[in-house]
Amino acid sequence: MDAAEVEFLAEKEQVTIIPNFSLDKIYLIGGDLGPFNPGLPVEVPLWLAVNLKQRQKCRLLPPEWMDVKKLEKMRDHERKEETFTPMPSPYYMELTKLLLNHASDNIPKADEIRTLVKDMWDTRIAKLRVSADSFVRQQEARQRGEHHTPGLCHCTPALSQKQTNKRKTKTSNQ
Amino acid sequence: MTEELDFLGQDSDGGSEEVVLTPAELIERLEQAWMNEKFAPELLESKPEIVECVMEQLEHMEENLRRAKREDLKVSIHQMEMERIRYVLSSYLRCRLMKIEKFFPHVLEKEKTRPEGEPSSLSPEELAFAREFMVNTETYLKNVALKHMPPNLQKVDLFRAVPKPDLDSYVFLRVRERQENILVEPDTDEQRDYVIDLEKGSQHLIRYKTIAPLVASGAVQLI
Repeated sequence: MDAAEVEFLAEKEQVTIIPNFSLDKIYLIGGDLGPFNPGLPVEVPLWLAVNLKQRQKCRLLPPEWMDVKKLEKMRDHERKEETFTPMPSPYYMELTKLLLNHASDNIPKADEIRTLVKDMWDTRIAKLRVSADSFVRQQEARQRGEHHTPGLCHCTPALSQKQTNKRKTKTSNQ
Repeated sequence: MTEELDFLGQDSDGGSEEVVLTPAELIERLEQAWMNEKFAPELLESKPEIVECVMEQLEHMEENLRRAKREDLKVSIHQMEMERIRYVLSSYLRCRLMKIEKFFPHVLEKEKTRPEGEPSSLSPEELAFAREFMVNTETYLKNVALKHMPPNLQKVDLFRAVPKPDLDSYVFLRVRERQENILVEPDTDEQRDYVIDLEKGSQHLIRYKTIAPLVASGAVQLI
């Protein structure tokens, strides 16, 4: 799965918007949305929120965890712990990227948030490299992946491929 | 106005029973089937009911939009959603076709030796495709290379020549139903087999072969 497909899945996450238009309830195949009234917050999937924002039909509200103080705490916690810590959303990376790219005007301290989320990502990638190395070297048969987000699992084909390749090399050398 | 769909599902005894699904649940199932198919090294069980129901839903919605008033915003939102669903459906079918092309002799052999009552990995159309692909490949190899070889080298056993799916490759999964006593076989001879429990909601990186039946039953989701 590539980054674009992970983003596709992330676009299903619900976010809150404040529309500037009126529309009755819509009955999508995947569920009901709305009704939309100007000034009243409503929850919609991210793909629709970004599209409406691009058409200047709404304002986006940042998710509750997208706050400098909260993210600082999470980042420090992630740095301190050797294992992976729970993330605010399985798609925190993709949500941050999409919301900051399309609606940075609706998100206070957008630059700081971008840096904090990137720090958390970098810390986790480093941990992934370490755990992948030990997994392969010790030829573990199974590893727990608590708090691994989909983006992390598929950021490189490395992890699941490495173990497969190592085993293939070993059996061909025998 | 969420209608419920009559969905012909299989229960654990292999008998068909009608499972009623909302359209939202149907799309959820499609996405689960898509992800499982993407990450599993072998071709998974065919899900014709899901594919048919999704296509019906899309056609139904298309009809409604054609008849609807020209309300640009509403129509465009529906169209965006349909595009997303179409993408997942095509990606799912494309993934399956790719596996069929890659492993065609093994897929056909599996279908030939499939016991009665066991669900097929191929839909009727996919089976026809696989057979044609086999015939075309054989004809191609014969005309391009084999007939120019010395007489005793003119046969090729595609079953031996084409690699099998690597069921030992590692996959990420999330546990949906708690499983007990799963036997894990390590790679090295020094390590012994051990048994683990899989708690609901946990995530693991493990060899596909160990958990293949759990993917088929829906107890785990590949991620």
